[in-house]
Amino acid sequence: MGLRGYVLKRIAHALLVVYLVTTVLFIGIRSVPGDPAVLILGRDADPAAMQELRESLGLNEPIYVQYVRWMSGIMRGDFGNSLFTNQPVTDTIFGLVEPTISIAIVAMIIAIFIAIPAGIISAVRQYSIEDDIVTFVSFIGLSQPSFFTGILLLLIFAGHFQLLPAFGYNPISEGILPWLSSIILPATAAGISSGAVLMRMVRSSMLDVLNEDYMRTAEAKGLDKNLILFKHGLQNALIPVLTLGGLLFGALLGGTVTLEIVFGINGIGRLVIQSISRRDFPVIQGVVIIIAFVFVMLNLVVDLLYTAINPKIRY
Amino acid sequence: MTEPILEVKNLTTSFSTDEGELIAVDDVSFTIDRGEIFGIVGESGSGKSVTALSILQLIDSTGQIDADEILFDGEDLLSASDEEIRQIRGSKMGMIFQNPSTSLNPVLTVGEQIAEVVRHHGDVDESDSFWREMGRKYVTGTSTQSPSWKRAVSLLEKVGIPAPEERAKDYPHQLSGGMKQRAMIAQALAADPELIIADEPTTALDVTIEAQILAELENLREEFDVSIIFITHDLGVIREICDNVTVMYAGEVMEAGDVRTIIEDPWHPYTQDLIACIPRLSDDREWLTVSEGNVPSLVNKEPGCPYRYRCDYEFGECTTESEKFAGSSANHQVKCHLHDPEHDEQLATMERESGLYDSQSTDSIDGGVSQ
Repeated sequence: MGLRGYVLKRIAHALLVVYLVTTVLFIGIRSVPGDPAVLILGRDADPAAMQELRESLGLNEPIYVQYVRWMSGIMRGDFGNSLFTNQPVTDTIFGLVEPTISIAIVAMIIAIFIAIPAGIISAVRQYSIEDDIVTFVSFIGLSQPSFFTGILLLLIFAGHFQLLPAFGYNPISEGILPWLSSIILPATAAGISSGAVLMRMVRSSMLDVLNEDYMRTAEAKGLDKNLILFKHGLQNALIPVLTLGGLLFGALLGGTVTLEIVFGINGIGRLVIQSISRRDFPVIQGVVIIIAFVFVMLNLVVDLLYTAINPKIRY
Repeated sequence: MTEPILEVKNLTTSFSTDEGELIAVDDVSFTIDRGEIFGIVGESGSGKSVTALSILQLIDSTGQIDADEILFDGEDLLSASDEEIRQIRGSKMGMIFQNPSTSLNPVLTVGEQIAEVVRHHGDVDESDSFWREMGRKYVTGTSTQSPSWKRAVSLLEKVGIPAPEERAKDYPHQLSGGMKQRAMIAQALAADPELIIADEPTTALDVTIEAQILAELENLREEFDVSIIFITHDLGVIREICDNVTVMYAGEVMEAGDVRTIIEDPWHPYTQDLIACIPRLSDDREWLTVSEGNVPSLVNKEPGCPYRYRCDYEFGECTTESEKFAGSSANHQVKCHLHDPEHDEQLATMERESGLYDSQSTDSIDGGVSQ
């Protein structure tokens, strides 16, 4: 089939998945109690006004009519307007994607830089003091919610030392440094949580690899310890780590709501919560399409990365 | 006669476990001459692999190796430093493992796995420093024009792999089991070793491939003048290619000697049982003989003969440690009270009564491995 054919097939799959997800959501979200018109006008508003509003928002029509209209809009690149702000959904979302992606990427980099060295050390020195310390710290990272880590970081670096801004997001267009200083704290908080999970995986995967026959073969060849570890072991150990890394990154891209709230950043996570509580159907649908698509694409990227680190996998 | 390539004297390897001390190898001694193929035979858990791994100190960190001496090429391996041991591993002593599918690294090409040995131990002018090797692994790859790669290709050719230039670029999973084992052999040969330890090299292979690999090993003995320790549970294979053999059970040497003598006139009941298990072409037995029972636990071993629990001849003395008794030929030793000259009469009576082994000691074995 070849790589090209494989990628095309996977993209077709991705579109199908996204379509199914949004369709289920479209119907599901309308079955949940809660009427946007009531939420906009208030519980005591005039029923006639409410009826009029429903009419103008197109909420009165049968669900399949709404669905067809929405779908045909998407085909033209129009995701509809927010029921509340009347802004186009695309504009609403795209302004908020940047902070979320920025945090996710930086958090992931931090997670990897924590997880791989720590995981290797604790696997190679299993049951040593180093292993105990790394394991202990990782359990703190695992059990502590990331918003709490965020608050601690905020207190220390923004409060006590006043080194970093406590609030808000600076777009990358304003310069790398202001951008980085605005996201480094939330990214670190998210990175510690993800890094702790990832580290456990690196450790157990590395331990498995250390017991493999081919590691003994490498030893029987008289190779140097470090060479055995990094040339013969590391790549094999990273194969399962990659799967988990992809999932964690996907979760970060879905937005870390609590962190966005703690650090006063307007991101995707906040938008989702806000629009769900307002029953802002078009926005919810738009966000879900984006998140579902990114998720499926991310899986594709992970699968393609497999071919780079696992020679047994070829498409 | 020249000095032997390897002399192991009173090797004991034990592991500390939660239940107590596990003695995997119990007071094992043997000597291997240059150019000899030396067999170690025994069932699972008999300590044959651990014996081999102990020579190169490749056992787990929980293990403890004790011996009076392990003289390899005149050098005592027990007093060698870690660095010296590392220099011997892969260069003067190569290893072939049981399962080629798991013993080759899945993320390195076959050629690279051989070439790195050449760079590390051979006389090629290529750096094998950590960063150069990492660069080769993750950035540049190993040049197919480099001397180490070319040597890898020629080694693959020597062990009978067709189209070696192409195969060298393959990953292990792209090769068949037999090819993989040949690649393992090429890897063991890469630095021109004096001794190869082959730990059940044919167990994971089917019989036709097994015969080919055995022929290949015999071939290499001639061509490279290398000694081989051949570990297997199959006495048929031992008969095929070994000069001398040591029969191990529960970590102890039961019987040792030259292969012909032992196959034709086995003394130890265990060896006799092993031989009885080999299928023969002339068999009119409906069922093959099976030795009932299992190897006893090696943790907190009781004194005495470890085979007595399964032995047909078991008698009072078996609970005490037996000496080694030499046979009529200088090269035959057995560790069994039955062969204590004092018990000659007892033995004779027992053999008459059972009549089991009389026929077999005269019968030659036709089965085993296809030739």
